[in-house]
Amino acid sequence: MDAFSMGLLAAMGALATVAGASEDIESDVGSQSNPNSQVQLAAQVGFPHRIYNKAISGEPPSNALWCAVAAGTAMVLIEKFAMPALLSIALGAAVAALFNGVFSTTAYMGRNASQARFNQYVFLDVLRTHTTTIMAHAWITAFCITCISYIMAYVLPMTHPFPMPLIAMIWGLAVGAIGSSTGDVHYGAEREFQNTAFGAGLNTMDSGHIVREAEAGVRSSIDNAWFCAKFGGPATGMAFGLTVFLDNWRATIFDPATQGVLVVATGIVIVIILNIYNKMLENYARKKYGPYPEYKGDIEA
Amino acid sequence: MSAAAGGGALSKVEPMKLRIYGVVGGLVGIYLATFLGPMTGNWTSFIAALGVIPAVVLGANSVRRVCSYGIGTGVPSIGMLALGMGIVAAMFGLAIGGVIGPILGTAIAMGFGYLIGLITNKAIKFNIPVMEEGTMDLGGAGAITLLGLSVAISGSADYAAIQMSVIATGYIAVVFIAGSLAILHPFNANLGPDETQDRTLTHAISTAALAVVATGICGIGTIGLPSALTVIVGFLVWIVYFKKFFQLVKRDAAGVVGTGLLPPSAQ
Amino acid sequence: MTGIDATSVMYIIEIIIGGLLVAIGVHFVPVGGAPAAMAQATGVGTGTVQLAAGSGLTGLLAAGLMMKMTDNIILIVASGAVGAMIMIDATMLVGNWVYIFGVGTPPASAKVNYDPITKLPQPPYMAPGTVGQGIPTVCYVSGTIGGLLGGAGGSLIYFALLSINGNPGLSGIFAIGIFLVNAVLASWNIQGTIEGFHDTKFKRWPRVVQAALLASAIIGVMAVMITGGA
Repeated sequence: MDAFSMGLLAAMGALATVAGASEDIESDVGSQSNPNSQVQLAAQVGFPHRIYNKAISGEPPSNALWCAVAAGTAMVLIEKFAMPALLSIALGAAVAALFNGVFSTTAYMGRNASQARFNQYVFLDVLRTHTTTIMAHAWITAFCITCISYIMAYVLPMTHPFPMPLIAMIWGLAVGAIGSSTGDVHYGAEREFQNTAFGAGLNTMDSGHIVREAEAGVRSSIDNAWFCAKFGGPATGMAFGLTVFLDNWRATIFDPATQGVLVVATGIVIVIILNIYNKMLENYARKKYGPYPEYKGDIEA
Repeated sequence: MSAAAGGGALSKVEPMKLRIYGVVGGLVGIYLATFLGPMTGNWTSFIAALGVIPAVVLGANSVRRVCSYGIGTGVPSIGMLALGMGIVAAMFGLAIGGVIGPILGTAIAMGFGYLIGLITNKAIKFNIPVMEEGTMDLGGAGAITLLGLSVAISGSADYAAIQMSVIATGYIAVVFIAGSLAILHPFNANLGPDETQDRTLTHAISTAALAVVATGICGIGTIGLPSALTVIVGFLVWIVYFKKFFQLVKRDAAGVVGTGLLPPSAQ
Repeated sequence: MTGIDATSVMYIIEIIIGGLLVAIGVHFVPVGGAPAAMAQATGVGTGTVQLAAGSGLTGLLAAGLMMKMTDNIILIVASGAVGAMIMIDATMLVGNWVYIFGVGTPPASAKVNYDPITKLPQPPYMAPGTVGQGIPTVCYVSGTIGGLLGGAGGSLIYFALLSINGNPGLSGIFAIGIFLVNAVLASWNIQGTIEGFHDTKFKRWPRVVQAALLASAIIGVMAVMITGGA
């Protein structure tokens, strides 16, 4: 353990937090992944909308693509043209953002064209105004994750045996999985159905009844991103930051070659602490909110 | 991961024709690039990448056929399955096959895909009629995508060359995920009751062209300037088919408008 | 190309065990699919393969680093398992933050009346019109176990491959491929959503054993015959 590694580790944690937040906002502006099923359903139950229906598979594979492309391009520039690392990574992320723009645009047009019978239009101004925002957030995600991969593959005193694009692809899969599990819930359960009362999930009767009218005018996906950036985005950042930091912290404070058992033991202790904390959190929520008054069964709360 | 497409998807192109185009087209591309490569200083490596496009169309059509039955999970899983099956089989074929390596790899991948379809129908009890054919096509499409794009980066189908320029450098990750998304994105992006096969397959060609561009960029790091030709060719194919896709969107959509308030509900 | 001999057989068996661990581990991870993202069902609001792949491959990264430093199979597999567990625990915890503070719902399971671990009653805390929400303790523990199995499985596969061909990049991408095949088979077995080991769907796990066994065996035989190259 030395100051240089710890400093790099802190940088990786910070980069991961930013990457997580921007990945979540990107999937909120574009309405990707699971909440998108409600956007898809909305037109079918008679509520055509102006939300950006960006259906690029799940978040893990698509984020893996942006990060892998960014890392691949950066590696070409670093190894072949001997360009400075930061500039190469920035250019790589720009290529990834361009790919993202194309995939997003075709997804929006394709999905809306396949809902013609429900009168769902393809709005070209939605494409024009939102695609650039999506691309910008994808740039941030790709840049941060490629930086993390670069640090792991080249800069850390104990470099990782995997090549940089492979590390970037794996972190891309991870950040997509995390964003899909955490921040998307804030969008899907809260913002998408803000007209229902706070304190419950989506009632099956309300499926498809997404909010289509905004604070002023018609709701657009950028309104959704503004809201989710206050909680869902930073929460996702925390989740990914914790993952990257805790995973690598164990291997930095203890030397894996000689103190491998301690590295594993620290991890197990962390897992136990997280489990206990979750139980305390569950008790807190149950006490604070209490049972639902609509419950008419016999089980004592 | 959304509402399934309604009913069985209409097919105007025969699956067998697509299978032949995909497999033969891909293999022809790979072999042309391998044989012409040393003579032209790798300037023909883009042919291998172009040969991948019919294979991606084959894969996208299989995704369309299998997912129309509603398999309960999302479309992305199928794309990742295709490439997962393809990678080991393709590398195995290359490692032991020598000159017929690509053919062997593709055949093994298709056989393995058929087996996976069989297991899924019998052990996991899916009972989907087109499952075996679908996973067989997916295995083949995955293997050819991997092989073709790897040959475009390394310039030859020789196992040692691919080892050095694609796997050791990590560009295999780019090939893996770009190929996977090229196969699964078209159907996922056009999912809906009014999905039409020609629009989905046109989209598949344009997405495959993007995978070619990504491969070309990585190839600049290994074979140098000739790979820039791959980037340019891929970009041109992409522009042509993206415009065609947009025309088909205008044909199919309820309306393509510059701006507007909420459309009237259809009910 | 290397032939099949006694040590190769051992590696093939390791790959098969790894594949089985991955496939069974997927059955433990609490995934609610699209409804869970709308707080309409219990579990993490994502797809099965996505979360399993995300956590298992994070474990693979940790195992890869460990294997560079040491040869001890137990340490490497444990390292991968712990890496996956940390990722899945952090994800589920922050997921619960969003469910509790962002959406305002207490965690509740829909498949049991009393949580098997905490013995707390569940139905009074289920929002009307939904099938549970959030990640109650039993799902959290189940998810941790799922991360353990998935990470261990992926790392075991990587260990076997690297021992044969000595090439981290090749072994890494092969491990990812084998992991994904097993994870997709398992996800098809549970039809996309499951709450954990207390869910009745969990009883389906024997079906996937045959499938994963066969698939991993065939891939294993192919993979051990591929050398690390020039």
